[in-house]
Amino acid sequence: MNAKRKFLFRAGAIVILLLIAGAMFIVGRGHTVFFDNKAIEYNGQTYAAPYKVVVIVDGEQAAKLYDKERGKAICIGQKFTMSLEVTEVKGGNEETSTITLDLPYNMDGIIINMPALLAGLPEEAYLSEFISAPDETEEEEVVPDDLTLPEDITNPG
Amino acid sequence: MMNKNEQKISIGKKIGGFIRSNPVPMMFVLICAVCIPISGFSAGYLLNEIITRMGRNIFLILSLLIPIMAGMGLNFGMTLGAMAGEIGLILVADWQIWGIPGIILAMIISIPLSIGLGILCGNLLNRAKGREMVTSLIISYFMNGLYQLVVLYMMGSIIPIKHYSIMLPRGYGIRNTVSLLNMRQSLDNLLAINIGNVKIPVLTFLIIAALCFFIIWFRKTKLGQDMRAVGQDMDVARDAGINVDKTRIISIVMSTVFAGFGMIIYLQNIGNMPTYSAHSQIGMFCIAALLIGGASVDKASIGNVFLGVILFHLMFIVAPKTGAVITGDSMIGEYFRVFVSYGVITVALIMYETKKRKAKAKAGRQLELAQTGEDKQ
Repeated sequence: MNAKRKFLFRAGAIVILLLIAGAMFIVGRGHTVFFDNKAIEYNGQTYAAPYKVVVIVDGEQAAKLYDKERGKAICIGQKFTMSLEVTEVKGGNEETSTITLDLPYNMDGIIINMPALLAGLPEEAYLSEFISAPDETEEEEVVPDDLTLPEDITNPG
Repeated sequence: MMNKNEQKISIGKKIGGFIRSNPVPMMFVLICAVCIPISGFSAGYLLNEIITRMGRNIFLILSLLIPIMAGMGLNFGMTLGAMAGEIGLILVADWQIWGIPGIILAMIISIPLSIGLGILCGNLLNRAKGREMVTSLIISYFMNGLYQLVVLYMMGSIIPIKHYSIMLPRGYGIRNTVSLLNMRQSLDNLLAINIGNVKIPVLTFLIIAALCFFIIWFRKTKLGQDMRAVGQDMDVARDAGINVDKTRIISIVMSTVFAGFGMIIYLQNIGNMPTYSAHSQIGMFCIAALLIGGASVDKASIGNVFLGVILFHLMFIVAPKTGAVITGDSMIGEYFRVFVSYGVITVALIMYETKKRKAKAKAGRQLELAQTGEDKQ
């Protein structure tokens, strides 16, 4: 009986930890969201960039974008909410809107095209993955510490 | 009624006795008292630095208390837990889990690794009873090699690692430094309050308080009492029906798990992780801080941890500047704080051995006297 209780406690603790870990996996997924204020062509139609877009995330200004400018913000989780202050033409009125987006889990960096988003185009038009340029830095010398493996092992070739 | 002279002598004796029984903390109080005015740092700056370092280090140092309670001395094997914590952080950085969820996930990942390493370490220490400290130190060096094998060769080739920012350009192995920028101080900043220019990381201190209460509570439990009994005398504990080996293994496992958590708290505060060297000195510095707080190889309290962190890190902060003011070279201060760390461990070990020998000699003399008395009768 005692052994059974012990086993149940242990199994319960493991299950709880796994559940917490699973939840952290989902709620803690970080994304870098890039905002492009750049004209886009979709289905043969061109959507021009507004004169100015101010992006506010969590009450703070994340970016102020003029034509062909890019800004970024970070987001933890799959829901991204931002407030946009859009000025279509120079000297024009500023329109404010709040937009919430579902971010794809598998993308680290996400590019959002502002003209496409503001025009209400489908996700495939305004959302794309940011793929960073391949790392062209030279092979990094690994310095484990003073007790360690000789340099020719840590830097093969 | 004592006259004034007698009272003065009595107070003097008490102070003398206090200094004699706490030589290491008193020495460091003296060093800090001399160095602080020379360094020229403001009280606000020092307070801010000390509070930051307390939040960063105390959890790690608290992990040393349980093995001391079980009579296993200073657990140099806490490095194993630190390595488990680092592996958790590497995986979390690769999966891009940020902020507090990243810290929690890294802690959960570190638990099975710490338990496994703790069981291994505890079993080895049970085979080297009486030589636990040196054995745990060597185990930490041995495991450091294994950690490097895993991180440098297996990660990316056997263990899937895909994120370019942490992987070496050759396609396997982890870079020298893993950036934890996306979880930097997320624990410290949540619920933080600012008093003047001093930032108090409330959540971190709450976590530390929780561990302190856990240790106080744990001492009163059956297992805690067993550990104390094992720490006092293993043979007596065994005769009392306590499974000595198992109790010692549990103490090391607990210490290793807490060390893993502590390392994650430490590194989230710093915001980056030197992959191959973060853990290598951590055991030494934590043990030095604990000893400076007045702990010994066989006795340590939560108070020793707090006092030790304050004194040790106060010296860490002021020593380079004091060295620079006195000699014109801040490196003197850097050397000073490193040799003091090792020096204090050496002194504590010598003092422990001397005390043990004196106690043994005294017990021998008492036995001899008792036997002589019996013979005369």
